[in-house]
Amino acid sequence: MEGASTPVPLHSQKKTMTAYELRRRVKSEYMRLRQLKRFRRADEVKSMFNTNRQKIMERTDILNQEWKTRRIQPIISVLTLPVVCVQCTVDSGFSEFSKQVIPLKTLNAVASVPVMYSWSPLQQNFMVEDETVLHNIPYMGDEILDQDGTFIEELIKNYDGKVHGDRECGFINDEIFVELVSALTQYSDNEDDDEEEEQDFKVDKMELCDGKEHPEDPRKDPLISRTNNDSTKKFPSDKIFEAISSMFPDKGSTEELKEKYKELTEQQLPGALPPECTPNIDGPNARSVQREQSLHSFHTLFCRRCFKYDCFLHPFHATPNTYKRKNMENLVDSKPCGIDCYMYLVQVSSHVTQPSFSFIQFHFLNFHSFVLVFIMFAEGNSRCQTPVKMKLTCDPEAVDWSGAEASLFRVLIGTYYDNYCAIARLIGTKTCRQVYEFRVKESSIIARAPAEDEDTPPRKKKRKHRLWATHCRKIQLKKDGSSNHVYNYQPCDHPRQPCDSSCPCVTAQNFCEKFCQCSSECQNRFPGCRCKAQCNTKQCPCYLAVRECDPDLCLTCGAAEHWDSKNVSCKNCSIQRGAKKHLLLAPSDVAGWGIFIKEPVQKNEFISEYCGEIISQDEADRRGKVYDKYMCSFLFNLNNDFVVDATRKGNKIRFANHSVNPNCYAKVMMVNGDHRIGIFAKRAIQTGEELFFDYRSVTRERLHNTRFILFIHIKHIMHDTGRLQSHILIG
Amino acid sequence: MSGASCKANGAVYPASSVMMNSVKKPKMEQIQADHELFLQAFEKPTQIYRFLRTRNLIAPIFLHRTLTFMSHRNTRTNAKRKTFKVDDMLQRVEKMKGDQESQSLSSHLQLTFTGFFHKDEKPSQNSENEQNSVSLEVLLVKVCHKKRKDVSCPIKQVPTGKKQVPLNPDSNQTKPGSYPSLLVSSNEFEPSNSHMVKSYSLLFRVSRTGRRDTNGLVNGEANENIDVTETPSRKKRSSSHREDGETTETYVAQMTVFDKNRRLQLLDGEYEVSMQGMEDNPVSKKRATWETILDGKRLPPFETFSQGPTLQFTLRWTGDASDKSTAPVAKPLATRNSDSSSPMETRTSTLRAAPVAVKDSVSTDVQMRREQVLCEPRQKLRIFYQFLYNNNTRQQTEARDDLHCPWCTLNCRKLYSLLKHLKLSHSRFIFNYVPHPKGARIDVSINECYDGSYVGNPQDIHSQPGFAFSRNGPVKRTAVTHILVCRPKRTKPSLSEFLESEDGELEQQRTYVSGHNRLYFHSDSCMPLRPQEMDIDSEDERDPEWLREKTATQLEEFTDVNEGEKEVMKLWNLHVMKHGFIADNQMNQASMLFVENCGAYIARRNLCRNFLLHLVSMHDFNLVSVATIDRAMVRLRQIQEELPAAEEEQQDQTLTMGGACNGTAVTSSGGKQGKRTKSGVTD
Repeated sequence: MEGASTPVPLHSQKKTMTAYELRRRVKSEYMRLRQLKRFRRADEVKSMFNTNRQKIMERTDILNQEWKTRRIQPIISVLTLPVVCVQCTVDSGFSEFSKQVIPLKTLNAVASVPVMYSWSPLQQNFMVEDETVLHNIPYMGDEILDQDGTFIEELIKNYDGKVHGDRECGFINDEIFVELVSALTQYSDNEDDDEEEEQDFKVDKMELCDGKEHPEDPRKDPLISRTNNDSTKKFPSDKIFEAISSMFPDKGSTEELKEKYKELTEQQLPGALPPECTPNIDGPNARSVQREQSLHSFHTLFCRRCFKYDCFLHPFHATPNTYKRKNMENLVDSKPCGIDCYMYLVQVSSHVTQPSFSFIQFHFLNFHSFVLVFIMFAEGNSRCQTPVKMKLTCDPEAVDWSGAEASLFRVLIGTYYDNYCAIARLIGTKTCRQVYEFRVKESSIIARAPAEDEDTPPRKKKRKHRLWATHCRKIQLKKDGSSNHVYNYQPCDHPRQPCDSSCPCVTAQNFCEKFCQCSSECQNRFPGCRCKAQCNTKQCPCYLAVRECDPDLCLTCGAAEHWDSKNVSCKNCSIQRGAKKHLLLAPSDVAGWGIFIKEPVQKNEFISEYCGEIISQDEADRRGKVYDKYMCSFLFNLNNDFVVDATRKGNKIRFANHSVNPNCYAKVMMVNGDHRIGIFAKRAIQTGEELFFDYRSVTRERLHNTRFILFIHIKHIMHDTGRLQSHILIG
Repeated sequence: MSGASCKANGAVYPASSVMMNSVKKPKMEQIQADHELFLQAFEKPTQIYRFLRTRNLIAPIFLHRTLTFMSHRNTRTNAKRKTFKVDDMLQRVEKMKGDQESQSLSSHLQLTFTGFFHKDEKPSQNSENEQNSVSLEVLLVKVCHKKRKDVSCPIKQVPTGKKQVPLNPDSNQTKPGSYPSLLVSSNEFEPSNSHMVKSYSLLFRVSRTGRRDTNGLVNGEANENIDVTETPSRKKRSSSHREDGETTETYVAQMTVFDKNRRLQLLDGEYEVSMQGMEDNPVSKKRATWETILDGKRLPPFETFSQGPTLQFTLRWTGDASDKSTAPVAKPLATRNSDSSSPMETRTSTLRAAPVAVKDSVSTDVQMRREQVLCEPRQKLRIFYQFLYNNNTRQQTEARDDLHCPWCTLNCRKLYSLLKHLKLSHSRFIFNYVPHPKGARIDVSINECYDGSYVGNPQDIHSQPGFAFSRNGPVKRTAVTHILVCRPKRTKPSLSEFLESEDGELEQQRTYVSGHNRLYFHSDSCMPLRPQEMDIDSEDERDPEWLREKTATQLEEFTDVNEGEKEVMKLWNLHVMKHGFIADNQMNQASMLFVENCGAYIARRNLCRNFLLHLVSMHDFNLVSVATIDRAMVRLRQIQEELPAAEEEQQDQTLTMGGACNGTAVTSSGGKQGKRTKSGVTD
């Protein structure tokens, strides 16, 4: 309208206006998106809450159903109080409201239960990383904040001033960024209807820029069209990025934002994977890749100690590359798998090429099968060769190998070596003949079957026994050498080097475990026990070394038997088997909540493992500051490197209270390479007794015996005076 | 407390609270203050035990006689159980029917009269021709059922015999054998006679010739009504009636043998019956009270007996040696809590049971009074209860001559039993036994460590204590007792176990009651644990739901791991978490189990090759053997073939699989942006 009359000056004016407006729009859009997100989140929370409620209802329903079938008199009937007809009236000063009268109903007084902060149940320790931001500013009553305002400040200082959710105006994440850009593009497009000339210019510029940057990628365009619903083939204008970057200067310059946007939107292509990701071997896009690549995910994510992928406990997983094959398995099938077996092919071809028989060449065939093959061959030969056999010998015809099959072949050849029958069986879609032919083609990459380990010659039995004896002596030694630190175990990996003073296990004064890469004959390995008894005396080297029996080392004591039953002859494997006692929660007789045992236990019987989050010592220091203020802490020192914190995650034993005359004791044990805390009965405990252990120390005897156990625990400690004190005791 | 204990046991020592710290003339206030302290300490627990006693009488939770240390209260032997056969029951009933008559014949009610006492006349002072004996006539009165035409109940009087009974004999001089005695065949009590007999009573009629005593006693006629359910309701009616010319005084008394419910009212024992002159007019029944009036003055109830006239006799039921229950048909009902069913022989030697006419006795506690009436072995044991209070600085002593528990009046009959009972049943107090030349001293103090926090139903926080033993119907309690029969090695009962121990402080503090006597809560929701949930341990599952979800999402976050791999890894992780494998040598087995459990899912989701990769990887870690790979894959192929024409059932099978692998919902969102890379994990 006006623009038509005076185009030039207005144009420029408009430009500035749009820049300003854009900025404003960026802000309003941003706010809108944020709000939208908040709403969405609130909805999510609501629906989560509802489903949760639903779950609870279902659970109670099931229980009630069971209750009904028992034909038991409901409790309420006994409770019916004599109805006292006391009327309650509410008078209002205004005449228009009538007096309200209702009979008085008295409800039973219900004793309140102690305070409990929510926590997640856990039966095994869970390692978490250090927190770099303070998750919440703890509230511990107004008076404390008034008294000690500096506490919070110091706390925040511990986290370098970072507090979770502490977003200045500049808070923007990738998701919002993409949404914001797309929203703004839409907006500017609408505007574009008014300003056609400008739009042309823009499009030109954009196309130019597109062409420049992605000459090779034609897929780019449909992608953009997907993100921008209405405008096709359009990359959001620079102006948008300009505006955003001016709004959020900390997020980078215009160009950077643009790059980022491209990067982010690119990933939304269906089926697109980052280059380092191997396509699904069962999927349609399976490619032919090398063995290492096929197995990369499995190898890197598998935790050899937990038998799980990406486990919760061990942040570092050793890859199996250096693992040696311990048992030389029968790699080759002794007999041909069928009439079309490659073995005939090999036989024939070798016969053809080498008229004279050579046993040596067929070293992978044993004598029996060779004879068989030979006879068959001789038969065929005598009768003039059948067409089939002719085929066998002659055409390595072109069979189509899909990417998946090829990959699979390479994987299996690394395991089965020359056993083509087995490989074919496993691949399923190819015959062993085809496999053999493929192998011939791929001969360059074939791995040789490994020979016996040259480094360590096999030991004689007698020697082994002596070794064990020296180990036992060594344990005694270690016991005496009162070193005061226990370090976390980390499997060692130093190929071609014996475990000497440079080995991390040796320096940390840990034994090498089965997870170490060193040979099984390593001098630093713990030998396990040869007990035939219950392993609950110091006669058992495992017990003496404060280790639980290793089911892969201690083969006589029963630690490796009866996986399903709790009836194991070895009493020194309770933590790993989770043979805990049933514990019941009730308000304590001493303070707060307490934990009670359901069934009686005998002295030294295992009660429960003290589980929780495994955090670093630094993290424990930071968290401990807050817990100290709360006067309630579930920190429990595990070793020099780590602390168990049962505050957020844990199990019921966390409710055990402190007592100077306890009925339980805690013991940090080495359980299959992990330090774990076991709670044991200090004396015979009867049904329904509350459990206590001494937070301050492990029993003295233990301290002498084991290498050292460090122990910090802070919780309410009731003193004789009745005052609550917070204690931190170390050692 | 002291008052209470007196009330409970109206017997021998009425309120003898003695101040040990004897102040010569304590001021009234001091006494009062002291009493206050005493009450403060002992009143509440005593009231509680009082209440529990009554409740236990009405609805006993257990029988004392079943307790080991009270075994002497149990009169039946179980010796016969060994040889018991069901057929014997029939035989016995048949035999009883046949033998009834002969058996009844042999049983008698034996009355041996000690003498007739009348304090008004001292025999020595009387003239020499005064008789030393009176004649006694005993009549059995049968009150029969009213027939239609009768106005009142027909009464039959059956004379049973006349005897000369010594008058005011000196108990020291007379030999026991020389007392006149009388037998009443129990046949007489049989209901076989023509009239239906409602009740039987003995009528004693003493006639005495000599001066007429105008100074007769007018005894309030007590309890004429025979129907009363109260225990030994007896008639006391004395009359002196003048006959022409002669001055013959007649005294009468009547005692009910069987009341109209055919309950035996007269048990073995020594009796002293107060007689009444014949001529006196009975007071109207309606206003009958227990007061005795002598010369227009009220007499305390027992004064009657010191004044006379009274007749003393020993009553004994005799019968077959084989069958001790001589009482023909009826047996006293109220023997539940008492030992009245104990062998008759023990009771014959009992002390003189003063017919206690206790004014304040409550009609409800039937047993208690019965027990008092019953005679118990007299022991020359005196028990001093020394109550310590106000931080053990004050004490107060009370003595008793019997072995009844002062709180629940249970007759323990042995000192050991009494102490054991006190200790176990009244744990709000601490009892310490101190030997005493006259018997025993029991120090009673308040148990500060008593855990009275909650002794009601452990499963219901709302219900009042005592609900657990509700009589309104079956109520489920948590099974806290698993052992029904337990025969622990018991130490020989010895009084020394009640002596105050030197180091036993800790031991004493611990409550004697063990077990689940509190309400438990769910650790996740803090909701009360209900009895049916008692056996479910929330920690039994190694893989809580959140952890299963966590492992799925954690794997999902990887950007450089493809979906097939993720899926297999998730399945395997859930499998391992569920079964909790811990050893390398379990892996072969675990892999096979994995195929069994998840094979169908793997086949359906087309993950076979990924599964094979997983196995090969495990083999690379030296965890499974080649043979396991082969076997697992063969099994998987089998499962694949067995799979029903896959597609149409896909949906409902994924549902069933949902339990096994929780992360599937998350899985499907393939394009989701991950945050982690596996390389980031390893480095």
